[in-house]
Amino acid sequence: MGGVDVGSSGGKRQMNMEINMIPFIDLLMVTIMFLLITAVWANFSRMNANAQIPGPPDPTKEIDPQTPEKVLNVHVTDSEFKLVWKQGATVVSETTAERPKQAGTELRYDDLAKKIADEWKQQSSHQDKSDKKQDQAILHVDNRLPFKEVIAVLDAIYDCKREMMVDNQAKAFPAFNMSFSVR
Amino acid sequence: MSGGRIKMFPDHRHPDPHAHAIHKPGRRLMHHVPLHFVHKRVAGGGGRNVNANLNLVAFIDFLIVTVIFLLMSFSASGEITVDKNINLPKADNVDDVIEAPMVSVNGNQVLVDGSAAGSTRAIEDLGRMQKVDELFDILKRKRELWKSFHPQKPFPGVCILQVDENVSSLVVKSVFQTAAYAGYPNVSFMVKKRGKTSN
Repeated sequence: MGGVDVGSSGGKRQMNMEINMIPFIDLLMVTIMFLLITAVWANFSRMNANAQIPGPPDPTKEIDPQTPEKVLNVHVTDSEFKLVWKQGATVVSETTAERPKQAGTELRYDDLAKKIADEWKQQSSHQDKSDKKQDQAILHVDNRLPFKEVIAVLDAIYDCKREMMVDNQAKAFPAFNMSFSVR
Repeated sequence: MSGGRIKMFPDHRHPDPHAHAIHKPGRRLMHHVPLHFVHKRVAGGGGRNVNANLNLVAFIDFLIVTVIFLLMSFSASGEITVDKNINLPKADNVDDVIEAPMVSVNGNQVLVDGSAAGSTRAIEDLGRMQKVDELFDILKRKRELWKSFHPQKPFPGVCILQVDENVSSLVVKSVFQTAAYAGYPNVSFMVKKRGKTSN
């Protein structure tokens, strides 16, 4: 057992103390059991998406016609990804990226992520750090496409990061905010 | 000693064999043999001590390290329940999970916080996007309840979708659109965070 040795003394009473370690070990064991039982091992996270729903018109405000912003439309086809920048109905630019056939459950489209980052650098109008507005990406997918493919494309879109000033500090945020095309 | 026997060991036996009916416990076999090497062999003395001293310091160190590790990884917010029929996809660019209504979508049904809110099969059989009425009603009720509890705060409009990785986009889009109609335009998809080494 553990002990405390304070040296010999000339007095009658014994100065060395024995500490009983068994209750201490018991306490540690009980703590470990409690923590193991209540532990959360799975690491879940989330990915944002946004439904672009216009609010009800405000009759007190005058409608101010604005130039529509550029929006990145990502079309997922069987063989490729089509990246189309549109401003309203006008097509500003169009490019494609190969869609590799991937086996297994973990899908990853690194080439698409690079292509989206290049496109963002060329076309985006929200690149300044003080600009807190994100670019909009609209995902066009076939109704039969499995959800894991949707998440892989979404992951590639959110891989493109930009710096934004928050509380006088530059922090990395996703450059795009994603929404589904429901047509 | 009579009869010319060499007295190697003192004889502790009582002259009267019936004097002590109860004897001290211990080894008995061949102890009466008056030879030194036999006595040494049967006594079992001189061997290794069967009691081993265990060093408690290393053991306590191990326990303390385990406790510290578990305390550091302890989550006070509680466990996020995921439907056992749902296999979530993996992703890299993710955010932390927040408190919001959970909509689970597996291969058969749609659930909101564990209670049934629609059928996945029905959406797939129809073959086109549709509003899931049951889901819409439940989410709308939740939104109104939140607003009655927090009348001063703006409604965040966030809900989290737990969707199985093999569910079709048609179902995902239908649920997404229904959530948006019910006043939840900020929809998040729950995923598993991919490890740094996995490809």
